[in-house]
Amino acid sequence: MAWKLDNPLYSLADDQENKATIETWQREKHGGLWESNNRLPYPVTFLIGLIIVTAFLVTKPIWGQRPSAELYAPMVELMDSPEVQQKATKEEKMAYLTERAMEIHKSAADTRLPGLLERHPISWEDLQLAAPHIREIKSANGPYGLESYTVVGDQVVLGNFEGSYRPDGLRERTQPWWDKGYTIDLLYVSYFVITMVLVCKRLPHFTQKPDMSKAVK
Amino acid sequence: MLGLSMTITLMLPSFDFRSAESTWVGLDKSLSNGLRIGWSYEDPFVVGASKPLTVILNANPKTGEPYDPPVRAYVYQPGTPFASGVEHPDNLGPTVKKLSLERGKIDQLDRSQGAVFTIEFADVNGQEWAYVVNETATKGWTPQEVLSAAGDANTRYVGRGKTVYITEGCWWCHTLLPEHTQDWQVFGTPPYLGDFNGEMPTAFGSDRKAPDILHVASRNSSREWMMMHFFNPRLVQPNSIMPRFDYLWGKVDANGNPIDFAKWRADYTAYRKGERAYPPEVPEYARNTEIRALIDWVLTSLK
Amino acid sequence: MLLKYLFAKNEDIPAGSSTIFFGYSAIFWFVVGTGLGSFNAAKLAFPDFATGVELFAFGHMRQVHVLAVILGWISMAFAMTMMYMTPALGNTKLWSEKLGLWTAFNWNAGLSLGLILLWCGFTSGREYSDLIWPIDLVVIFGVLVPLGMNVWMTIAQRRTQGIYITNWFFGACIFFLIIVFLVGQSAELFNLTGLTEGYLTFWFAHNVLGLWITPVAAGIAYYTIPKLTGNPLYSHRIGHLHFWSIIAFYSTPASHHLLSAPLPEWLKSFASVEGVLILIPAVAFVANILLTMKGRWSMFVENVEIKFSVTGVLLAIPLNMQGGFQQTRAINWYVHGTGWIVAHAHLALLGMSSFLEIAAVYFGLQQVLRRKLYSLVLANFHFWFVIIGFCIYWISMTIAGLIQGAGKIYEVPYIDVVIAEHPYMIARWIGGTMVFTGNMVWLYNMYMTAREGTIVPKGRYAHEMAYER
Repeated sequence: MAWKLDNPLYSLADDQENKATIETWQREKHGGLWESNNRLPYPVTFLIGLIIVTAFLVTKPIWGQRPSAELYAPMVELMDSPEVQQKATKEEKMAYLTERAMEIHKSAADTRLPGLLERHPISWEDLQLAAPHIREIKSANGPYGLESYTVVGDQVVLGNFEGSYRPDGLRERTQPWWDKGYTIDLLYVSYFVITMVLVCKRLPHFTQKPDMSKAVK
Repeated sequence: MLGLSMTITLMLPSFDFRSAESTWVGLDKSLSNGLRIGWSYEDPFVVGASKPLTVILNANPKTGEPYDPPVRAYVYQPGTPFASGVEHPDNLGPTVKKLSLERGKIDQLDRSQGAVFTIEFADVNGQEWAYVVNETATKGWTPQEVLSAAGDANTRYVGRGKTVYITEGCWWCHTLLPEHTQDWQVFGTPPYLGDFNGEMPTAFGSDRKAPDILHVASRNSSREWMMMHFFNPRLVQPNSIMPRFDYLWGKVDANGNPIDFAKWRADYTAYRKGERAYPPEVPEYARNTEIRALIDWVLTSLK
Repeated sequence: MLLKYLFAKNEDIPAGSSTIFFGYSAIFWFVVGTGLGSFNAAKLAFPDFATGVELFAFGHMRQVHVLAVILGWISMAFAMTMMYMTPALGNTKLWSEKLGLWTAFNWNAGLSLGLILLWCGFTSGREYSDLIWPIDLVVIFGVLVPLGMNVWMTIAQRRTQGIYITNWFFGACIFFLIIVFLVGQSAELFNLTGLTEGYLTFWFAHNVLGLWITPVAAGIAYYTIPKLTGNPLYSHRIGHLHFWSIIAFYSTPASHHLLSAPLPEWLKSFASVEGVLILIPAVAFVANILLTMKGRWSMFVENVEIKFSVTGVLLAIPLNMQGGFQQTRAINWYVHGTGWIVAHAHLALLGMSSFLEIAAVYFGLQQVLRRKLYSLVLANFHFWFVIIGFCIYWISMTIAGLIQGAGKIYEVPYIDVVIAEHPYMIARWIGGTMVFTGNMVWLYNMYMTAREGTIVPKGRYAHEMAYER
């Protein structure tokens, strides 16, 4: 089990050990089976890299996030204004309100809001039913703000999400785009990749192929 | 590799589960189901033996003082194993455990005597917490007097009903987990972290071929509808693919007359063919049947 | 007939007896399992079929189908392949034929008892862990531990220097499965409750697939493909990559089955990433096997075992593409709990895994019995019935799942979804029945092989003689 570290990208085992391994492979039949020593083909290597990058990109929690009350708060404020009252149909009212809310969200600190609003439109009826709850939460100044409440249809309830503890002992109710799980993932994947590189580089280099013709069938 | 994987996926989440504080929903489910549903020493034939009874009390059974709204009490007759959170208060979550021990006296128990529990609320640091109260220790209620004060009409066989739900495999099609999508507007709010403490098994269901029923009783609370639907779902929903559960009625109806299933089916077939104007009447179930327990569970627990 | 050896001396038992016992048991359970599947599908398509009897209620039979297929067919086919591949790969004999026979006997007896009890309603109410815990203990200590002993000891007393990849998978996966069973069933043994129980249920369900059904099936392909084609395995190092990435990435994403449940959110984030990374072992496996086929692709048409094996490997491609992405939050909200997932589960178990095992059972029984297959025509009939039946099933359930998903998102009244799904439920039943029919033909074919198959002379392989009369 001698380690050889002067050319780590070529092999981590010394020549003698590599030679012995190849000898074994040539000789060994495993009941009529042999193993070759080909490299990971380039497309496969590329695919694996792509998979790792994709894995982190497609699982960002933002894709599963539900609309928060914060999203509709500007609409609730504006819904009784004369501009809205003048609009004839519900659709016009909602188009106007959505446009205004979008403007406000675009300048907000939380950059997720415009995207969320785009994916979660609300109807005039639902907005009317949800508005009293949203106003109540805003004025109550309770331990949880508007961002911690979820709106689905006409219902407004405390987000069904329990994250890290806050200083006051309660738990976070909003989902961060990066959390503990991702950090563990990064470490875990790095650990895997390093282990795999070590394991593979301990094998003879892929240019050294066993000569199968020497094996006895 | 496997060691690290098990550390991350088993050990780390166990800290989260351990710190989960039970909600009212969690306490209600746990107290009305008892220690566990499914096969166990106390219920070797999985028929719902040794399960607590849930009763609706309109008045205090000792003093007669009326309750408005009525109080839900969980009666553990002598020998019935206590709910998980009562046997192991750690399962209640730190705050609920403290309240239940200090105010609810859930440590003063004797399985051979049985006990009666209720759920009360307390305010701690500006937040409302539900906790378990051992009424046998605090008010001296005995299981027998609570049961006779309530009467059969106000007694719900919830634990046995959940057993029927499990053994009949209802959960292969109905789920108990509304999803985080628009699903929610139809089937109600998804459960919270503390809604499960002490429940065994959780039986979320994974293959939904039928509506989610976590909140079914708040959409439809008609006992008559449930009865017809269980006896033959196509009586109330002609396109339903739910199996008939008429066998849960047992052999006799509420008046002790034998149920003639063959005749009922023949009449029903005639009705489907248009030879009869009305479907045959669904027999009233007897007091101590599986169907009664199942409907009790649906209407009491799935609010 | 093999039962007489249960009390014989180990030396007196002919080599391969336990392979034969396990092999025929596996085929028998496959017929039973798919028959139950077909029956259940009929009940979904026609709800008043066999109605009003408790024992024929869907809720009593669904889990019997699932466990008969997983623990009866797939796991026994695994055991059968272990009984002949492990010694062959180590140039040695099986450590103990007698223990092998006893394992097979315990397995059949324990599983029959467990399934009958389950059928009658003795259940723990936990999906995939439905068997009550006394039966679980029989499975662990009466079946898995003896099976493991046999495999581990056979590997230990091998006469080769190295251990071939198939044996890594065999040895490691039995060990994993025992751990997975112990941890998963601990919820019942120690009455763990709440989300701990819910999570352990799916931790078990996920890892039974991830550390048993998928990797052992892959290990089998690592044997059958090089053996039948005569090509060396393309790459030893990709084998390493496959083996270690399965352990790293398949053992971790259990909570992606419960994205809707209030589990800790970081755990779901972690699981989602790992779930996509399952594509790494998949890519490694498919690449390694298909590159091994180089120059021998004509066998895909000519040879029935290769036909089954390669089809299984090819089905691993859609399987893992689905599996990797359907569990992300972005897609899961749409397909979770719908027929899509049922289709995916059948793609894994009936598609990828079963096809690889069918090939290995065909090959192994001919090898051990030293008899040529009774009828190649019937074998091809079996192949086409299973593949066409499976495709009908898979496609119809995928469509049904998409309908259900759309119904869920657009708040369609549930009953309209049921009505829209009805034609696909009938298609599902037809597909399932075709698979069942194919398997009955297989059982007959293998029975006749044992009785009347042409004797294979020493030094020849049965598959080389396929076209000789």
